[in-house]
Amino acid sequence: MKEMWRDYDPDGFFDELMYEKHQPRGFSYRLLDYLTSMDEEAFSQRINESEMEMLERGITFTVYSDAGNIDRAWPFDIIPRAIPKSEWQRTEKGLQQRIRALNQFIDDIYNEGSIVKDGLMPADVVYDSKGYRAYCQGMSPSHGVWANICGSDLVRDDTGKLYVLEDNLRVPSGVSYMLENRKTTKRVFPELFRLLDISPVDAYPEQLSRMLRSLRPDVSNPNMVLLTPGVYNSAYYEHAFLAQQAGLTLLEGADLLVGRDNYVYMKTIHGLERVDVIYRRIDDDFIDPEAFRPDSMLGVPGIMRAWRQGKVAIANAPGCGVADDKVIYAYVPAMIRYYLNEEPILDNVPTWLCREPEQLAHVLEHLPELVVKPANESGCYGMLVGPHASEEKVSEFRQLLKQNPNNYIAQPTLKLSVSPTCCDGGIAPRHVDLRPFILSGEDCYVTPGGLTRVALVEGSLVVNSSQGGGSKDTWIVDDRSFMEGQ
Amino acid sequence: MLSRVGERIFWLARYLERVENTSRLINVHTSLLMDLPQHRDINWYTLVTIFDAKNDYFDRYDRVNEYDIMHFLLADTSYGGSLVNALFSLRENARTSLDILPETLWEQVNELHLMVKGEMSSIGNRRRRQNLLLAITERCLGIWGIIANHMSRNYAYDFLLVGKYIERADMTSRILEMTSILVADKDSEISKQYEGILWGTLLRALSAQQMYIQHNASTLKADKVLTFLITDTTFPRSLSFAVKALGNYLHYLPRSETVLSLQQDVLNKLQDYKAEDASLAMTHVQMDELQVSLSAINQAIAKNWFYPDYATA
Repeated sequence: MKEMWRDYDPDGFFDELMYEKHQPRGFSYRLLDYLTSMDEEAFSQRINESEMEMLERGITFTVYSDAGNIDRAWPFDIIPRAIPKSEWQRTEKGLQQRIRALNQFIDDIYNEGSIVKDGLMPADVVYDSKGYRAYCQGMSPSHGVWANICGSDLVRDDTGKLYVLEDNLRVPSGVSYMLENRKTTKRVFPELFRLLDISPVDAYPEQLSRMLRSLRPDVSNPNMVLLTPGVYNSAYYEHAFLAQQAGLTLLEGADLLVGRDNYVYMKTIHGLERVDVIYRRIDDDFIDPEAFRPDSMLGVPGIMRAWRQGKVAIANAPGCGVADDKVIYAYVPAMIRYYLNEEPILDNVPTWLCREPEQLAHVLEHLPELVVKPANESGCYGMLVGPHASEEKVSEFRQLLKQNPNNYIAQPTLKLSVSPTCCDGGIAPRHVDLRPFILSGEDCYVTPGGLTRVALVEGSLVVNSSQGGGSKDTWIVDDRSFMEGQ
Repeated sequence: MLSRVGERIFWLARYLERVENTSRLINVHTSLLMDLPQHRDINWYTLVTIFDAKNDYFDRYDRVNEYDIMHFLLADTSYGGSLVNALFSLRENARTSLDILPETLWEQVNELHLMVKGEMSSIGNRRRRQNLLLAITERCLGIWGIIANHMSRNYAYDFLLVGKYIERADMTSRILEMTSILVADKDSEISKQYEGILWGTLLRALSAQQMYIQHNASTLKADKVLTFLITDTTFPRSLSFAVKALGNYLHYLPRSETVLSLQQDVLNKLQDYKAEDASLAMTHVQMDELQVSLSAINQAIAKNWFYPDYATA
């Protein structure tokens, strides 16, 4: 299928696998050599195999639309995205550093609040944040860790430099797709795993279980459960998958109750059974109708009481979403210096804080070139992507920024890196990002690689699965031998 | 095990058994109709009677013909008892129990769903319908094979088997009920001319023909067939076997005394069955009573394990 690759051209973007047209990177040479030497028919057969595989295993996600809720097959691109191990080792250190600082920050603001007292962060940024929960004041979970599971989004610009785009600390999803993608690639391209030294990813469920266990050092064999909002949640497949793989009991709010002794119990065929650790995949707002939203049908009344008394561990800890705030994000490099006394290994995307008048002036002047994000929305809700937006939309945001500058940040529109992707029978560059997953309890574990999401539409920067994004298997390839000049 | 999970698993097994039995029954009935002349007592509508779905049927259709009845029983999503709906419930229950079931089981259930989805439009064609129903039966058996060979003997397994045997007893009794009504009328044309064919069909609908012959080495006679299908404890699709097996698995579950005593009553009644001429005509009444008792056992199971009053700590 050499012909399919003949016209492939990253066209000025940083390409994950190539320097430029027809110039593979050292660590991706064998991968590309293998792919180009395969004939077109064999290649499309592999694509069919991978699609059948995903469909038969029932790997789906739900799209909520006007036409009803549809379970769609997970869109998977069979050409892997590769990252050299030498670069990854540094990234891994950077992610660990970052999560350490973020956890110390959360622990600090729910206790002494020294970062505010020392004047590094304005009080309103922290205490008026949507993710801040006054209810959590005075708490300190095991090991001082609040964000036990984090899924940071990393992106590259056109120079290839890696940035942290956001830290997803509430209920990050996607890790099951990382595992499923690898399983599929292994079945579809078994030969490649002999040619290259690729880091395995399947330790995750075991690491997850170990991390959760470490949250209850006081219990010798803690009873651990995964709390899901239920079958109609778009990530339900993942909840079931993780419960199965990590040996957690998968349950819904209605399966739990809090006893008069303030312990949490689940309803079993034997009667009530005590629960020690809850991996919750429900937002703070819905977890306890007594403490937060009284209309929540998903949560468990009294569960926050049980948590505050240390009778149950909850991961991620309630209130940790405060560090997911986009304005607070801008302060992460400062946190790293403040708490760890280290220089950040991974950089933030350059960010203008609209609350600062000079920065706001700059943002307003360059609005059509920038991306503007509200403080506390996930996905791409309430965002402005200047270069892709209509004039009305830009002026709408001009108003919003003037009315409520504190709620916004702005960033340059990055020229996201691309990676070769199958599209309409051909191969074309498509924009990608990367979501590694970081587990923190007693120890810290980072997945080798993570989930690469790809915008399947030409020119699009939107990688979310709900909006036309797909995903790729991500390889951390040992590149030492290639560096030695093979 | 969570009460909710126990409930889902129990129903998963019931639906799996129902899908299998329905497919086999419809195929066997089709072949029966090919053997019989056009007759007003036995026709496609007989199937609707077996499923107790008279009202549901006439709410939706005006006429009685093969096409409409097949559509109703197999493909009609508005009728709760249709095969597609049973399959849908089966898949939903499997999908929501992924954490405790073998991975391969979910894959097989999902493949079954995809296969039926792709082929459902062709059920108007008799040949393709028969192939589809045959394939469904085989796949269901394959799924039971996974359960038998990939699952620990734990509570999940016990609830699966409890669900399976309660559903099997129910389906078997429905099929028996129908045949006994047809042959009970000693004077009717049908019973004189075709009794042998009818009993043979009944046995095939329960995959029981071969074992019956091995067991009885005799011709197809009403009293022998009924005795075999009601009282035999060695053939897995006979009523006594199913109810006895139900008891074995109930026994493994915690606090099962109340449910077990109901099950024991039912088993005793079945074992007391005597296929004498006088009582032959009453068989369908007894089958009706059996269905009521099975439904009472189902309720007792729900009360005991799925929705008990939890004593709060």
